[in-house]
Parts: sequence; structure tokens; C-alpha cells
Amino acid sequence: MAEHNSIWETLGFRKASGVGEAGWGRTLAVAIVSFIYFLPVLFIIFTAFKPQDAALSVPPTLSPTSLFGLIPEQFVFTPTLENFGSVFMRSMTAGGAPEPTGFDRYFFNSIVIASSSVLLALVIGTLAAFGFSRYPLKGNDTYLFIILTTRMLPAIVVIIPVILMFRVVGLSGSYTGIILLYTAFNLAFTIWMMKSFFDELSLDVEDAARIDGSSDTGVFFKIALPQVIAGLAATFVFGLILTWNEFLFALLLSGPDTRTVPVAMNQAVSSGGRGTDWTLLAAIETLFLIPVFLVTFFLQNHLLRGVTFGTVKR
Amino acid sequence: MAGSKVPALRLSGISKSYGKVRALDDLSFDVAEGRFFVLFGPSAVGKTTTLRTIAGLVATDAGRLEINGHDVTTAPIAGRGVSMVFQSFALYPHLTVHENFAYPLKEEGVGREEIDTRVKETAAMLKLSHRLERKPNTLSGGEQQRVALGRSLIRRPKILLLDEPLTNLDAKLRHDMRAELKRLHRQFGMTIVYATPDELEALSMGEEIAVMRNGAVVQRGTPDELYERPVDTYVAGKIGSPHMNMVRATLSADLSSLDTPLGKLLSGRKFHSGAAGEAALVGIRPSDLRPAIEGEAAVPSRVHLIEPLGDVTVVSVEAGGETLRMVLPEQSASGLKPGDAVPIAIDLSKIHIFRAASGQAMT
Repeated sequence: MAEHNSIWETLGFRKASGVGEAGWGRTLAVAIVSFIYFLPVLFIIFTAFKPQDAALSVPPTLSPTSLFGLIPEQFVFTPTLENFGSVFMRSMTAGGAPEPTGFDRYFFNSIVIASSSVLLALVIGTLAAFGFSRYPLKGNDTYLFIILTTRMLPAIVVIIPVILMFRVVGLSGSYTGIILLYTAFNLAFTIWMMKSFFDELSLDVEDAARIDGSSDTGVFFKIALPQVIAGLAATFVFGLILTWNEFLFALLLSGPDTRTVPVAMNQAVSSGGRGTDWTLLAAIETLFLIPVFLVTFFLQNHLLRGVTFGTVKR
Repeated sequence: MAGSKVPALRLSGISKSYGKVRALDDLSFDVAEGRFFVLFGPSAVGKTTTLRTIAGLVATDAGRLEINGHDVTTAPIAGRGVSMVFQSFALYPHLTVHENFAYPLKEEGVGREEIDTRVKETAAMLKLSHRLERKPNTLSGGEQQRVALGRSLIRRPKILLLDEPLTNLDAKLRHDMRAELKRLHRQFGMTIVYATPDELEALSMGEEIAVMRNGAVVQRGTPDELYERPVDTYVAGKIGSPHMNMVRATLSADLSSLDTPLGKLLSGRKFHSGAAGEAALVGIRPSDLRPAIEGEAAVPSRVHLIEPLGDVTVVSVEAGGETLRMVLPEQSASGLKPGDAVPIAIDLSKIHIFRAASGQAMT
């Protein structure tokens, strides 16, 4: 088991220290609640591996294995990878030859659009947040408030002016358009998040760096930024999840070439007049889960640990 | 400039306001090169703002700042040859001790090998050699303090600013660090400006002390000068422990004796700046009071509190409705207990007379 442990550690898990101070009872309670939270996701992942008949059977099949005879035979399904194949390649008409579905392109679009808009928002937003935090304008809070108003309305309310603006400047259906839109939306969130992280830092530390010979730029890059890495990671992950799953703007503003997975998913399951193909939907969703899952997984250490904790006496 | 002594530091008429709050009000003083200079006063009198002004972190509203005779009022921070230790230590939390020490040298463009040598030298001097790879938050308070000092000293500054550097340490460490700072001052001979609200630190470390109030210097001088000749009741009340006893009085027509609740006191001096019948305050140091010996002029009093402090004892007595504290050697206080009647003698040659209205010393 020792080897096993080290693999998990290299993947970013802390070494299990057994049951913590909360004791077995509470740990069990939390485990049960967590399992209930995870159930919908687990159900989708299982469905992605089910043959179509198993997915729709009553009573529902629950497990890919009988767990050494623990689970009765009628609840067990035989896992298949067929659904994942048909995400990318399937016949579009009854009895027709399989053809490419374009989903490789949609996944590519989702990754490019989400990551570039979140990164762009992170760069601009972090600089803006430092500005708002360290060099306040007259009426600083007013500007911060205005920035947040963009997130106060549901997307459906602002969609009409946004569509009109995009038409006028010719950005509809382009990567630039959708990336800029998401960047703008992530900016509000990024600025507020990062400002609160910068506000927490000790100003004495930055003044010390100035006395030690740093320019304002040096103070930002060498002193302030390294202290808010946990904040950058958290903001990146939250922004990514929001953007990755965004549907409405993508539906109305992306073109055939820039379509993202949530939009394509909607079209894939509702086209063809054959009713909803649940196993196909589940397979798309499972694949769709992987990138955000990986990013969150690899950043989790940064999410959990604030580097500035306890370093400055106040 | 040869021949004339240019002060290492000179502030003339410096003012700074934050909104309606006047942090520095026409502040002026100078510090001779190599001097251990203490800015002393309670919190919020402008000590920190003064230090930040010298460092260049604060842009002043008015006045002029000179370092070694050069006007640096609006000069950039870097290049002033000033370094500073903050009350919060302000260590770089994301960097190791080694990197904290190296930071100012890197910013100065010093070569890698030179940096390494000086970091090791500094660490050895401050007994931190075994801590170089640690992050600040894993160090004890005393170690963090030494890292902050080391980071300031490594550049070999001409002027070192210390902002209440010992406030965040416990009593034992404070004592050790006082000695350590004096040793470093002797070793490097740089000019030190040291801000503290602690009277003991000010008196024990300062070669010269400036007492601050409301953003200005009230009085400056050596510890002895401040103790012997306070210019007003503010300084008199801040310097000396226990604090000076203050007794209401009226200056007599001869401008030399005073009518007090303790009786008539003959000062033996003439206060020409006073007026006959002027209300005054008589300041008597607790160490200038003692139980009278027989036949001596004495004020009757009654003991009401005894505070033994080891080698000395603070005895509070009531005389003429006033409470007076006196400091006695332990053995001469040993016979006293609360309620005892004790005639006390006052060393009249050492009393201080202040105007009741302004608090200024009478001359």
C-alpha cells in the first residue's frame, strides 16, 4: 500500500492521516452527505457506460458490477464504450452510415474559449484589482459597484443589447466576440475576488520592498502577486467553471464554427426526432466533465492553502 | 562643506495632513551622523509618519528634508541610503530568510556571489545561519525580528529607521534586543532614528531623544537633560518612572516661594518669568522625596499604599489632600505600613515649577 500512497501524494492528495479530530460519527455523516451530493454525477457517469436498453430499463440498473454478488443481477449492467464513440461518429439518419458529428471541434472550441477568456480576465482583472486596492480613485467604490452591476442581471436580460452591439461591430459568431464577452463577464468577478485578496496583504511589506529598492512594478510582480497565488488559483477555477458551463450567450452568439459543447449538446440530443438519446447525452457530459475536473484537481493544493497565513503580526 | 559639520539628517518645517488630521505639524529636527536618536511619544503623535517621511514613503505637504546636506524632499526612495525596520517586521512571507536578506541586494544589482557572501555574513552575525531556508512564518518572534534587522543592515545603510521594533516581542526578548541593537550601532556606526512609545527604551538606548506631541517636537536633548529640565508638564509626565508628582501651587510675591497644600515651599530660586499670585504646578520627582529625619523641615503625611518592586519600594502618601509617590530603597521602606504617619522631606533644589495655565516651565 505504501507505493499506492506515494502515487496519490504526487497527484496532490495529502497523506491520509486516518480519522481526524471530528471522530468517526461525524466523518460518516459527512461521507453520507457527500455521497448524496455526488449521486447525480455518478448516475450520469454510469449512464454513459450503459447500453441503451439498460439505461431505460425499469427498475433502473445501478451498478456495473455485482460487487461479488452483493447486488442482485437485475440491477447490474454490462459497461460499454460505444456511447463515447458515437459522441464523435454516428449515423444521423435511421440506418445511415456513421459520419463525424463535429464534437471534436466543439470540445476544442470550449477549451479555447473558456481558457483564453478566463486567463485574459485574470490578467486584466488582477492588474485592475491591484489598482483599485492600492491606488484608489475618487469614488473608488462607485466604480467597483458599477463593475459588479454587469453580474446583477440574468444573462437573458442583457442578451438583446449585447446581440445588437455584436451585430454592429461584426463580432457575432467569431471567437474574438465570444471570448471578449466572457472576458468582460469574468472581469467583474475577477476584480472583486482579487481586490479582496490584495486588501488582505500587509502594506508594510510592500513599503519595505520600496525601501529595499523596488519600483511599483517590482512590488506588484515580486511581492504582491506571489502572495495571492492561492487567490489566482481560486479565481481561475471559479471563472473556468462558470464559463465552461455557460449556455445562453454561447447559444445566441456563437456561429457554427465557434459552437461550444453546451450548445452542441443541446442540439445533439434534441435533433433527429427520435426522442432524447440519454446514453449519448451522458457520454458527452462525462467527457465534458474531465477538463474542469482535472484543472480543479491539480490546483486544489493552491485552493486549500493560503500562502500568507500567519506571516505578519498585526 | 569641509569643516562645517553637516547633519546626517535634517527636517525643517515638515507638515503632513491626512484629510483633516494633521499628522506632522511644522516638524523640525536634525540628527548628527552616527547618533542613536530616539523619537519618543505615545501612539499617534506622528513618529511613524516621521520615519516614513524620511524613508520617502510619505509625500509631505510642506517642508524640507535633507540627508547629508542634500535636499531629498522629493527624491525617489531608492538611493536615499535609508533602510527601515517596521513594527510589523514586514518580512516577505513568500520568500525564505535567505531570499529576504538577498532581496535589497538583488534590487541593487549586486552580483550573485557577493550576495551569497553577505547573506551568510549577516545570518552569522544575527545567529540565523541555521534558519536560512525557512519561511518567516515558521520562525519565532525574536527570529523574525532579527531577520527584519538583517534585511535592513545588509545594504549597509547610512541611516537606519526603527519603528517600534521591540513592541511585538516579549519582555525578556526586548531586553536582549536592546543590548543587541546597541551593539550593532557600535559595530556599524550608522545613524539610527528609533521611534518608541516606551520610556525605558528611549532612556536606555537614546543618545539623544526628541519628545513628540501632535506631530511636532516638544523638547529634545540627552536623557539627562530631559529628566533634569523638562520644558513642560507633558515632558515631565512622560520621562521618569514613577511619574513626577504634580502639586497645585501659587507663586508668592517674592517670585521664589510657593504656597501649596503641603505648606510654603522655598525654592531658593527666583522665577522672573512668573507673576506674583500666578497659579503654578510644582513638580516633585518621586526620588526627591524621603522620610524626614528629626529636626528637619518636613511635611506631615500618611502612608496609604506600598508597592515593593524588589530593590526599591514605591510608597504613596497623602499630604495636605494631595497624593504623592516616593521611591525609597527597599530597606528604608521596610518599616512602613499603610496608615502610618510619616513626616516627609522634599529636596527643594530639585523641584520643577510650571505655569498652571500652559504647562510651560517657569524660569
